[in-house]
Amino acid sequence: MKRLPITILAATALLGTFFTGCNRGDESGSKLTVGVSMLSMQNEFIVNVSDEMEKKAKELGVELVVVDAERSALKQVEQIESFVAQQVDAIIMNPCEVEASSPAVTRALAANIPIINVNSETKTQPTAFVGSDDVESARIAMRYIAERLGGRGNVIMIHGYMGQAAQLKREQGAREILQNYPGLKLIAHQSGEWDRSKSMSLMENWIQSYGGQINAVFAQNDEMGMGAVKALTAAGLKDKVVVVSIDAIPDALDAVKKGTLDATVFQNAEQQGARAVETALKAAKGEAFDKQVLIPFELVTKENVAQYLK
Amino acid sequence: MKSTLTDKVPLRRIGQYGIFLALVLICLVLALITPKFLTVPNLTIIVTQVSINALLAFGVTFVIITGGIDLSLGSMVAVTGVVAASFAHPDTYPLVVPLAMGLLAGVLIGAFNGFVITKSKVPPFIVTLGTMTIGRGLALILSKGRPISNLSDTFNFIGGGKVLGVPFPILVLVVAFVSCSVILRKTVLGRYMYAVGGNEQAARASGIDVSKVKMWVYTLSGGLAALAGIVLTSRITTGQPNAGVGFELNAIAAAIIGGTSTSGGTGTMAGTLIGALLIGVISNGLDLLNVTSYYQQVAMGVIIIGAVVLDSFNRTSAS
Amino acid sequence: MRELLQVSGLSKSFGGVRALDRVRFTLRAGEVHALMGENGAGKSTFMKILMGLLTPDAGEVLLEGQPLRGQNVHEVLRRGIAMIHQEILAVPELTVAQNMFLGREKDVAAGRWGWVNDRKINQLAAQLLDQLGLDLAPTTPMKYLSVAQMQMVEIAKALSNHAKVLIMDEPTSALSDREVGTLFRIIQDLKRQGVAIIYISHKMDEIFAIADTITVLRDGTYIGTRPAAELDQSTLIAMMVGREINDLFPASTAHRGEEVLAVRNLTRAGYFTDVSFEVHRGEVLGLAGLMGAGRTELARAIFGLDRADSGEIYLKGQRVLISSPREAIRRGIGYVSEDRKALGFVPGLSVQQNLTLASLRSHQKGGLIREQSERTAAAAMITNLRIKASGPDQPVTYLSGGNQQKVVLGKVLLTSPELIMLDEPTRGVDIGAKFEIYKLINQLAASGLAVILISSELPEILGLSDRVLVLSKGRPTALLSKAEATQETIMQYAMQH
Repeated sequence: MKRLPITILAATALLGTFFTGCNRGDESGSKLTVGVSMLSMQNEFIVNVSDEMEKKAKELGVELVVVDAERSALKQVEQIESFVAQQVDAIIMNPCEVEASSPAVTRALAANIPIINVNSETKTQPTAFVGSDDVESARIAMRYIAERLGGRGNVIMIHGYMGQAAQLKREQGAREILQNYPGLKLIAHQSGEWDRSKSMSLMENWIQSYGGQINAVFAQNDEMGMGAVKALTAAGLKDKVVVVSIDAIPDALDAVKKGTLDATVFQNAEQQGARAVETALKAAKGEAFDKQVLIPFELVTKENVAQYLK
Repeated sequence: MKSTLTDKVPLRRIGQYGIFLALVLICLVLALITPKFLTVPNLTIIVTQVSINALLAFGVTFVIITGGIDLSLGSMVAVTGVVAASFAHPDTYPLVVPLAMGLLAGVLIGAFNGFVITKSKVPPFIVTLGTMTIGRGLALILSKGRPISNLSDTFNFIGGGKVLGVPFPILVLVVAFVSCSVILRKTVLGRYMYAVGGNEQAARASGIDVSKVKMWVYTLSGGLAALAGIVLTSRITTGQPNAGVGFELNAIAAAIIGGTSTSGGTGTMAGTLIGALLIGVISNGLDLLNVTSYYQQVAMGVIIIGAVVLDSFNRTSAS
Repeated sequence: MRELLQVSGLSKSFGGVRALDRVRFTLRAGEVHALMGENGAGKSTFMKILMGLLTPDAGEVLLEGQPLRGQNVHEVLRRGIAMIHQEILAVPELTVAQNMFLGREKDVAAGRWGWVNDRKINQLAAQLLDQLGLDLAPTTPMKYLSVAQMQMVEIAKALSNHAKVLIMDEPTSALSDREVGTLFRIIQDLKRQGVAIIYISHKMDEIFAIADTITVLRDGTYIGTRPAAELDQSTLIAMMVGREINDLFPASTAHRGEEVLAVRNLTRAGYFTDVSFEVHRGEVLGLAGLMGAGRTELARAIFGLDRADSGEIYLKGQRVLISSPREAIRRGIGYVSEDRKALGFVPGLSVQQNLTLASLRSHQKGGLIREQSERTAAAAMITNLRIKASGPDQPVTYLSGGNQQKVVLGKVLLTSPELIMLDEPTRGVDIGAKFEIYKLINQLAASGLAVILISSELPEILGLSDRVLVLSKGRPTALLSKAEATQETIMQYAMQH
């Protein structure tokens, strides 16, 4: 007997949420909520993008709920599902994987919640994409190497985790440029797993096998680039080898300023974060927005590094 | 007293000599394939690279001998590195401060492991699995998710400097190896470690304070992990919150390859050092031969299984 | 009688230790041939070679005139040698019949399409069980059987293999008297069918009851083979230990001195209740009782391995609280456990390291072990206790049971206790080592130690104790003087309530 009132109560509560859920769009004036799922808060660049988003959200008066997917696509899908259940107004996702994070997009779209991919892509088309083309970043880096070497020389490439979207695209871009310069020879390439100490050990071993033959190193991120610089400096070879990497983290910018790292490629975290929030807001309010916002990469060398250093 | 060679050398230890022979054999093969391998600079680099894993492996050897396991090594490397780096900016503190703080962090986490394991009787596997995650989180909190760079030159000397042409990490390795060997072979504590791992009940009935031994062992493991964390941080001149992911597995592998039995009660520091060197040589050799890391991983797995099979083979033929 | 098995010149060494040295052995069809020897005499190595589990270094084994080249268990089984193990190796969830034909289903009862014909298997099993006079349904799951019944099934299984030679290693260790009777009846039946039995046991009365022939091994060498009828117990013991043992229990010269331990109303719920007694210097207090009477639990509580719920313990008149073995050792209490594998020695360590384990603190300086000091102490104990080992660095696992027991005892003695509690000190120890341990107990008492002796063997209790405390279901039922204590009175008090 006692159970009945509780059941009714629960049912009413359920209906209540249902109706408020339907009313969502009309509540203009009250604060909008945007759910954000980031690839990994252990990655400096991603943390930067996330910080910029918070900044922009504050400015626009939007409430952000930021969660860390810890590089797990499964976790990411679950996070998006819970955003859908919480009836957020829009979702920003920084996908972990091209394929495996796609179901998250499908879930959000099915619930009629706009979803914006930031920084990298998924197979399923989201409401909008804000980011940069990784292929292009590698093209910029490799083109710089080609120019510095005058189109001739031996190059080494240090990959990220094999098979990840960023690694695949950066390799693709680098190889495109290498094909245009038959004088450039890729003498060795290996995965440094995005990690500084791993890449340093790798470079130390390569110095043993190739020594003075190495003319340039392309590392797919700055962490690995810094590792290569350390190994080359220790071996007294840094002056003879051009090292270029991607991301323009503060450490790398310092190194460019000191001249130990020859160049890095700036991926604009501020722009990516800010434009993602703006796009999400527009989509939530039903205003017009660009379906693809591409933020250009910028090459950072000793000449222009000052403007990137804060 | 009459004693022949076979008496002094238990059959079980042949496994360890087998691994030593394997190391020599692999070195010979690599020397034949590539002239770049058997050179002083290359060998120096191998030992320098091995030093971090070896430090961790020494610690986990203590732990495994008592029948435990420590999965928090990699995270401790990150935490201690971040802590040390925070105190190692130029013109802030003298060198002892970052070193002491880093070591303190490692010792505290290790002692925490030991405390929970002895007080709660929860298996070490689970406790240190928890600490592994806690440690990673702490490293990220302390560093706010960003690498801590701009470290002083004196601090960077630990990982990058040379004394009389010998890289400093190698000196750290040698000192740690000698100290750990002495602890294991010459001290009461070392003997108690074997006793606890060989038969915990009998150790207790012999009046050994089993909890104290375990506390010591996990604390030592934490301290050595801190040493590894400091060397790593200094080597890459940054305190990385995401450093050391998976390091515990390599360290455990080195100990097992070196003849430390996961069931406890057996193992030597020399064996562990050989195990670590074997891993380092193979990794270096395959890099020199430009073999992709995929095959390197397969090779490492084959060696671990081979070592354990060899160990169990020796065990059955001995009994 | 036909000679089934001829063994000559069999030798085998393990890492410098000769386990078997030119052993010979002849087995005739239809005889029960007892293989006797102390632990470590080489019996189990010999049996392992016969079973094809070990390869001999030299020598020959002929089965019905054909050489048996070892290292192949299946070949040995096929040729008709089977072993009934000390530990029964059965699959508890399978039925009696399924266990009997495990691994051979297809040979004996192949059905269509690779199925096993269970009905056929059950029929065959029933036949064999009937042949042995066993009232047991072939379809009973193994887990419902008593140890004795499982053993019978093992024998039936061996017969189904057409075994001509049956090896029985301590077959009665887990059997009741009635079950032993059944086993002996079956053995007699098997003899009549021409099966030869190699019988290994430490129990003298059994040997003389069932064996036709007795072969003795000592230290891996062949001592002799005699018809059982020509031997008596003391001659056999002399053959086994290499000397005459006139009186198993040497006379005690100890004098009772001051009180060392007093226990008052000690209780641990569910184990023992209201136990009070005292032990003096130079005295051996026997602790008698049936299995589960709480004797071991009482000793564990005094040693700090378990916590008593209530009651008091006094050491030399002073009340003490002992919360750990460490503290007990520090206060001069030693305990040699009944279970030396679980609580006695550490398998990975050497003889020396085990000996000094509990007293290592007296051989250290600043945490470092003083090797010379440790070595001297261990060497003295090895000599005093006559521990048979190739050296102080030999791993303790390679020693025989008796020598392992001596190592554990030596370890406790090196802590220089004032009170020593010996819990079944001769369990699984052969007769020679037993005698040495008895002598040692007397020596300990004579040197002024207080000894508490727990034993299930009444002759031991009677032969060594000055007084006997009898426990029954955890309660003390009698404290008997040497004059009062007889097998009958002790048993009577042990079964009281």
